Amino acid sequence: MSQEKLNFIVIDDSKLDCFIAEKIIKNSGRSEVITTFQQAPDAITYIKSVSANGLMTIIFVDIQMPIMNGFEFVETFESLPQELRSNYSIYMLSSSINENDIARVKGYSSVKQFLNKPLTNASISMVLEQF
Amino acid sequence: MSKKEKIKVLYIDDEPNNLVSFKASFRFDYNVYVANNTDEAIAHLRENPDISVVLSDQKMPDKTGVEFFEEIRKEFPNPVRVLITGYADIESVINAINRGHVYRYIKKPWAEDDVKSAIDQSHKFYITSSMLAIKNEELQKAYNELDKFAYSATHDMRGPILSVLGIIDLAKNTGDIAEVKEMLDMMENAILKLDNYIQNLHDYYSIRRGEVEITEINFEDVVKDLSDIYEVTSKMNNVKFDKSVNQGEPFRSDDVSIKIILNNLLSNAFKYQKKDNSDKRVDLNVTVNKGVAVLTVKDNGIGIPENSVSQIFNMFYRATTEEVGSGFGLYNVKDALGKLGGNIEVTSSGSEGTTFTVTIPNK
Repeated sequence: MSQEKLNFIVIDDSKLDCFIAEKIIKNSGRSEVITTFQQAPDAITYIKSVSANGLMTIIFVDIQMPIMNGFEFVETFESLPQELRSNYSIYMLSSSINENDIARVKGYSSVKQFLNKPLTNASISMVLEQF
Repeated sequence: MSKKEKIKVLYIDDEPNNLVSFKASFRFDYNVYVANNTDEAIAHLRENPDISVVLSDQKMPDKTGVEFFEEIRKEFPNPVRVLITGYADIESVINAINRGHVYRYIKKPWAEDDVKSAIDQSHKFYITSSMLAIKNEELQKAYNELDKFAYSATHDMRGPILSVLGIIDLAKNTGDIAEVKEMLDMMENAILKLDNYIQNLHDYYSIRRGEVEITEINFEDVVKDLSDIYEVTSKMNNVKFDKSVNQGEPFRSDDVSIKIILNNLLSNAFKYQKKDNSDKRVDLNVTVNKGVAVLTVKDNGIGIPENSVSQIFNMFYRATTEEVGSGFGLYNVKDALGKLGGNIEVTSSGSEGTTFTVTIPNK
């Protein structure tokens, strides 16, 4: 298992869930930079402007959010230029057990996987094994 | 339907004598409209959408009664159709029932009692089917809301629970007591959020299912109760809370609905403040004049984005992530106002804040 450092972006309208995610990611010991956003449009702006530090970035995005939901975020992300997108892996998070949502996640090529909330030490290490 | 209100009946026949005698026989029992031809009949139906029974002669020069019924069924599906004819051949009866969807069939010359019983039964059928249509519509609406609700409930009710589970997972791996204490505060917040959601849910069902209970409202008391609740919030968040009540006349309405309305508007006004503002304000004004209560809740907070204003009363709509909200509050306000026959208007801007103006008529 590689122990390469990674960047993380967490997008969740719940401040609390952002905090939880941040803590758990920190605990994994694999994080270089963790950035959290409560509004998805801010994350898009950030992705467009941030200068790459050469590391892979993992995005955890919640599905149900006001203003721009998780699906809208992914659609906006997929419209960005390819060279901008290539360093990102997206994981979608949800508390809903809605099958339509789960099925819809599979339709986006840039989304690696659907994860149930809450993020836990176990679920995050499962994700990190792939990097 | 009140007893005084007479059943509205339309009778179509090409023979003026029949019309005259029909009107003479039944005008005391029913509100009778007569028409000499189908055009006149349609005009009556357009003008009086509450006509519940239509009786038509079968044999008319421009078209038969069955053809007429077939024609009006689309535009006027509700009135119950009764065919009157002297030609009692089985063929036209079958035709009438199959093509014109005729409820009853009367033979000419008619016996007065037969006509009365046909009209009364038709009217009963009319009432039953209209009620059914209304109930169906309500049911459809309830289904739609249930769908929306089921989707959102998993998010809004499970959300805080999952947050707490997440924190528990974290806390188990932390040895630092200070950090664990911080986590407990967070759990508390998540649980409070869930509790708030459930309370809103309870409001929602008390508006939905509960009958409106009209009592005399003393707004001084209502505002006093609310002040007690918001005094703490006002002090804690450093928001100046001004209240004024001008009620010079008695006012009757539903106490629970009014409290739900004011409570939601006030809680929003306190919640959506500009954090760095040193002069945070919430004003509540109640004026009762000439049988109308005007409630104004004004804040100088963050305002509502222009493109969201039209949607804020929708169930589960949220215009901001600034604060925790259930997306339920303003929906409940609108729903409660619907029951009271009231109205709500909102003006908002990022610089001035938001003002909600509610008008409620005296019951």
